[in-house]
Amino acid sequence: MASNDSKERAYRKLESSSLLQQTMFRYMLEAQAASEEGKLAWVTSGFPVEIPLAMGLGVSYPEQYTAVVGSQKVGPEVCGFAEDLGYSQELCSYARAGIGSTDRPDDSPLGGLPEPQVLLACNNICGTVLRWYEAVSELTGAPVFLLDTPPVQRRQPSHHKEYVRAGLEELIDFLGEEFDTSLEEEKLQEVASNSTKAIDLWTKSLEACKHKPSPLNCADRFLAMAPVVSMRGKKHILEYYESLLDEVEGRVQQGIGAIRNERVRLLWDNIPPWFSIYKFFNGLAKRGVVFPADTYTHAWTGSLEGEGILNRMVDIYSNVYLNRGLRAKVDKMTGLIEEYDLDGFVMFSVRSCKRYSLGQLVSKDLVTERTGVPGVVIEGDMVDSRLFNEAQIQTRIDALIEMIE
Amino acid sequence: MREKVGIGIDVGSTTTKGVIINSNGQIVASSIRSTGASANDAAESVLDEIEESYGEAIDQSVVSTGYGRKLISIADREVTEITCHSLGVHHIFPDVQLAIDVGGQDSKAIRVGSEGRPTDFELNDKCSAGTGRFLEVMARVLDVPIEGLGPLALQSQNPCSISSTCTVFAESEVISQISSGKSPQDIAAGIHQSMAGKIASMSRRVGIVAPVVATGGVALNPAFVDYLGKSLGEDISVPQEAQFTGALGAALLSIQ
Repeated sequence: MASNDSKERAYRKLESSSLLQQTMFRYMLEAQAASEEGKLAWVTSGFPVEIPLAMGLGVSYPEQYTAVVGSQKVGPEVCGFAEDLGYSQELCSYARAGIGSTDRPDDSPLGGLPEPQVLLACNNICGTVLRWYEAVSELTGAPVFLLDTPPVQRRQPSHHKEYVRAGLEELIDFLGEEFDTSLEEEKLQEVASNSTKAIDLWTKSLEACKHKPSPLNCADRFLAMAPVVSMRGKKHILEYYESLLDEVEGRVQQGIGAIRNERVRLLWDNIPPWFSIYKFFNGLAKRGVVFPADTYTHAWTGSLEGEGILNRMVDIYSNVYLNRGLRAKVDKMTGLIEEYDLDGFVMFSVRSCKRYSLGQLVSKDLVTERTGVPGVVIEGDMVDSRLFNEAQIQTRIDALIEMIE
Repeated sequence: MREKVGIGIDVGSTTTKGVIINSNGQIVASSIRSTGASANDAAESVLDEIEESYGEAIDQSVVSTGYGRKLISIADREVTEITCHSLGVHHIFPDVQLAIDVGGQDSKAIRVGSEGRPTDFELNDKCSAGTGRFLEVMARVLDVPIEGLGPLALQSQNPCSISSTCTVFAESEVISQISSGKSPQDIAAGIHQSMAGKIASMSRRVGIVAPVVATGGVALNPAFVDYLGKSLGEDISVPQEAQFTGALGAALLSIQ
């Protein structure tokens, strides 16, 4: 397990990462094949993907693809393609990279995503996705379906649930008409069961990070979450998550941490800077800073198994915390800090992701008030490295660590 | 036996400051010079100067701070300016609660806790509004030396409104005010008022609790301190060592 330790790196590589690569490669091949068959849907990360999957469609996730654009360090170029079309630099960099790569796939990583036949957007994560998909629709001709999930404040009223439920039924009709297919209950049960099992395995791996030292760091989780986001519902990803959980539990049993010398445990809030994910988190790992939890990778939770799957989907998909306002976000952060026994927190204010970043200054004070641990807000972007000033960010995080130590 | 001393060097974006303190924490030598293109050269020059002023070369660990803290080879340890300013200000004003440091290219508000350790802080983002650079640009537009901008502003009875928080747009606004016939005094006052408002807004994010101490080169500007006090609704103290508090904090860590 600790075969890489001889190199004395601060950061330990996961052996299951080779299976992760194979799993993601399969995702790309399946999407390509689906597109060639005329059965590919592009979906947003919080879309109830179990329905299109159960109806025989392949899926691609533009957000996941634009994270790849970021990690390949070509965010400014690909975002620039959208800016050339007239889109503002203030627009979400996921949207810009998505629109830019659709317009110029040959100049984008992996030749862009395979061409979609439909675009399925759910606004439970933000409202920009609809406008983004409408722009892609203009470029590709694929129709857009919006699953509208109005924001939830405190308890979700029954008429609200009925509205979202009606949206799911409309989705089934829409896909049925577009692809001349129907939804079989048995198939939906199977896909939902796979989803639930993947999420369960994933959640167990996350929760193992309550141990000291933490078996996973931030960069590990941001990469390992890819299948649960993009292939939730597929049976074959269970093999990867079983392998990950085995490795994580092995680390816990042997007292092996994700980083060599864990001294400071922090919470990460928001999407990571994809273009600097290794450099950023590994740089901090060298100083003994680990991130056992983050708000982003803990977002895929809940069970869809059993009777009434559509109603469970309403509960889960319209109650993601980005759709619930600041109170839910603060509760989430407070809970993670307490459960994972963290010393402080870093809030990444993502300039172009307004939905996730709005209210961070207020949240920061509330979280510190409730938990007694300090936090810091740093500013940058997830894809567009032009908006990331490393020296300024370093000073803020260094100061946080000095405050803690 | 040779006295134990501490050495701190604060490599700011505009100026590099160095101090030697004795075992009582008193500054016994200090030096300041432009940082220029090489932070390392500036730091070495400052170290030479303070050792010359002290009278001997010192074999003592050097703690660096400031934006260029990682760029200098003579440092044995580097600590952020947030921690160092907090310690330095607390050393001079032991009851300080809020330290506001406005330097050449950055500004910070620090809540100072017990023993001078920071408990919360805010820094300006990727923007020069609310920094010494903002005042430098405005002084050039008004064609007055930077040292003269504050005294000019204090002569005003009716400050102009400068609404832009961006240095470049504020520069255009000042040019418009000049062409519309506003007096240099009123424009200078408006510039200080605008800057103080921005710093006050940043300070509110960490909480305004007296006593408040202002440091950094801009704290030597009386008009800025005056308007900042009005914006915060608190009296502002400015230490004699306003430009050296970061270096002082670093020296205190060095002597520890």
